[in-house]
Amino acid sequence: MTESLPANELTDRLNLIESMIAEGRRNTESWGWVFVLWGVAYYAAIAWSAWGSHPSLAWNITVAAAMIVTFGIIAWRMDPARRKSNPPTTVSRAITSTWIAVGVSMAIFIPSLGIGGRSSSNLIVAIIGIMLGTANAASSMVLKWKLQFACAMIWWSLAVISCVGTTRQSFIGLLVANFFCQIAFGSYMMFKEARQRRQVASHA
Amino acid sequence: MPELPELNPVIHGKLRLALLSLLTGVDEAEFTWLRAKTGSTDGNLGAQLTKLEEAGYVSMEKKFVQRKPQTTYRITEAGREALTEYVQALKQLLGGAI
Repeated sequence: MTESLPANELTDRLNLIESMIAEGRRNTESWGWVFVLWGVAYYAAIAWSAWGSHPSLAWNITVAAAMIVTFGIIAWRMDPARRKSNPPTTVSRAITSTWIAVGVSMAIFIPSLGIGGRSSSNLIVAIIGIMLGTANAASSMVLKWKLQFACAMIWWSLAVISCVGTTRQSFIGLLVANFFCQIAFGSYMMFKEARQRRQVASHA
Repeated sequence: MPELPELNPVIHGKLRLALLSLLTGVDEAEFTWLRAKTGSTDGNLGAQLTKLEEAGYVSMEKKFVQRKPQTTYRITEAGREALTEYVQALKQLLGGAI
């Protein structure tokens, strides 16, 4: 068998292996909307706590609402009857696990501080900064994505500013970090994902 | 002169090779996803997957998700090794051409 095979057939086989492995790993998931949604939720919570009635409820209610919307949309998209995305890969599992772990840690820790009467706005912003910095850094290292690592550095800088700076500096830092790392980064991700989906559709 | 390596005939088939390569990149894949990626018919795809399963290169699981049947496939350790050996044999056969 081996001796009768022409070289171009063997090369075709190698190319087929490479293209199929790449096809299997091609990511058509979309997560940019989660960044934008949470960016909007943070701004809503900030605005409510600054100017709305019952400001003490602002963060709890806004974060709970954002969580319900996020998990609702994810559950709807994961429904096997609707699911058109790629099967899970090691990379997608690594990233999802990182974000779930960080999300659960924040969901447990921040309200616990409030219940224990130990929370202050600087401390909460520092925790948000350090946790989102960790998640973005881990995710960027898995994906080898420098832009996301830059977001991690912005969040970490916010955490440091919140620890050493005034409440006003911490507040301004949160507004800036939220804009760049949630709204702008999420919008860019959505744009990239849409372009990738169009490419996949045109190849199909 | 060194002896030329033999290519594994189970893997050498184009569709079977495509299926094994696709499965190396994912944890597991549904029949419908494999069909969409390879563009093959249900009958041909099923037959080739059965051959790979008989060789111990893929494992199959049938389950019901929300009352709908779902068949998923994953590559086995033997399948991964066989594909690696196949690629090495191909490279050896092609020699300096790649």
